[in-house]
Amino acid sequence: MEKRKLVIEPVTRIEGHAKITIDLNENGKVDDARIHVTQYRGFEKICEGRPYTEMPALTARTCGICPVSHVISSTKACDNLLAVRPPKAARNIRRVVNLAQIIQSHALNFYHLSAPDFVYGFDASPEDRNIFKLMQTNPDMAKDGIKLRAFGQKIIEQLGGKRIHPEWIVPGGVSHQITNEQRDNILSQIPEAMDIAKRTLKYFKNNIHKFKKEIETFASFPSLFMGLVNKKGNLEHYDGFLRFIDANGNILENGIDPTFYKDYIGEAVEKDSYLKSPYYKPMGYPEGMYRVGPLARLNVANRCGTPEADEEFDNFKNLNNGKPVLNSFYYHYARIIEIIHGIEKIEAILREPKTMGDNFRSRAKINRERGVGCSEAPRGTLFHDYEVTKDGIITGVNLIIATGNNNLAMNAGVKQVAQEFVNGSNITDGALNRVEAVIRCFDPCLSCSTHAMGIVSSAIEIRDHNKKIIDVIKRS
Amino acid sequence: MRIIIGYGNSLRGEDAFGVDVISLLQKKKLKDTKLLSQYQLTPELSLELLEASEIIFIDALYGTDNYALACDITNNQNANLSHHIGPKVIIAMLNNIYNRYPKFQIYSMVTNQFDIIKNKKEYNRCLNLIASYLSK
Repeated sequence: MEKRKLVIEPVTRIEGHAKITIDLNENGKVDDARIHVTQYRGFEKICEGRPYTEMPALTARTCGICPVSHVISSTKACDNLLAVRPPKAARNIRRVVNLAQIIQSHALNFYHLSAPDFVYGFDASPEDRNIFKLMQTNPDMAKDGIKLRAFGQKIIEQLGGKRIHPEWIVPGGVSHQITNEQRDNILSQIPEAMDIAKRTLKYFKNNIHKFKKEIETFASFPSLFMGLVNKKGNLEHYDGFLRFIDANGNILENGIDPTFYKDYIGEAVEKDSYLKSPYYKPMGYPEGMYRVGPLARLNVANRCGTPEADEEFDNFKNLNNGKPVLNSFYYHYARIIEIIHGIEKIEAILREPKTMGDNFRSRAKINRERGVGCSEAPRGTLFHDYEVTKDGIITGVNLIIATGNNNLAMNAGVKQVAQEFVNGSNITDGALNRVEAVIRCFDPCLSCSTHAMGIVSSAIEIRDHNKKIIDVIKRS
Repeated sequence: MRIIIGYGNSLRGEDAFGVDVISLLQKKKLKDTKLLSQYQLTPELSLELLEASEIIFIDALYGTDNYALACDITNNQNANLSHHIGPKVIIAMLNNIYNRYPKFQIYSMVTNQFDIIKNKKEYNRCLNLIASYLSK
């Protein structure tokens, strides 16, 4: 048999546009497989020449899904340009909004993007394995997903003025303080949100045994992990320090001020994708592959720091006897634990008297010509790095988006799954679905993360050993 | 109650059609009607539609027959679920999850201009046509 290339396009139930190519060798076995991100955004160039004050609103447009994450990192970069630390009330409210974003995003990934696979299995027909079927057979599950997402979205809307592209987080703090009514409204929704999160956890744990093979093969390999941790080494989403660990849990780097991220992270560009490939610089490219996001955050953290989440965190850590969990299928598990943590943390912050303080914004002029902002987005660590003139006009922008950090690992995962499940002589829909599903574990947001120049790819193709396309598989 | 949802990105030229129709309708005092302006349709929007007996979606629809008006939900291609969704999914959510069966319609303006408003006169004609029809 001659070499063939199999292409899956578009990759479904993810954010943005991508295709997968699978190269088959002469024996019909998978030789290689890659994900190609086929859309280009170019925000790093668009922003040049704009006043720094526009950056939070401008970069929020990078994404309609996680704009809050961009606003948070962008305003932190602007804080850095001003050389100010926002008042405690502002930092707390920013934390609440950031956690709300993480909760709503995780809820949608779990309930609506991934649940059809959990409920019907990866081999179910596409006619059955979709949200419409889920709504018919498991309406309560779909309802839970909507409610939990609404919980997060309403917090963003209440505090930020609107759910998508809120404009209330500004350089130096926030534009207005939180009212007692807003606080009480959010607090009143906490019990129901927590009930849903616990139901979700129970469902996942009761059904995880069905996916033994997927757990073993869905991007299950040694890699580094990176994430923010606080001063105690616990889970952190807003501030803190970068920590890198290896696959055995050894801490490679700790307490890194994110401002100095370039000393530790290199950015490679592949010719067949618009998505950058960041790597851990001391190990070089591509050996410095690392993972970010919920799984990585729990792997690098000592604890979650909230009681309910910590109870489950112990079980998570036991999956690999205290060592990092290497199976990317457990991104789903980590997401649920983060939802629980997020709900607990939001409640704790809102009950802090300082959150209600009336000092919510620091004002200053440009005091630095470079500013870096870093936070944890739903999908992982997000960096905004700005250079400005002394008048605050942007002269350079570098963005490392959460999804981009996972690019090397996603590619390695696609190859691993393809080699395990795809047989060139009998390509089943279940096999192709698994190849997509491994990407879904990372919950990539490709719209956000494509800022690097590359060559446009546009199809999912099967190619022979001469790179001639012999088949194209379209999925919708 | 009738709920009219106009959705689109106001920064993207004629994609803002639905949002602009809502702006026009806000100037009229429509009885028993709730107006919603949305950047995109999202799953949790279904919670705001539980009280609706009739839902009208207004959107820009990609096509080459610019400034034609369409009212066929089968033309709306975004049936997949993502962080943003199409009218079909919203209606399916109301039917299957909440046992609500409102009447629904979709009004679309066909365009291939998502960067600018290419023909302001034609764009306004479409806006006024839909707005006056819905005001009757």
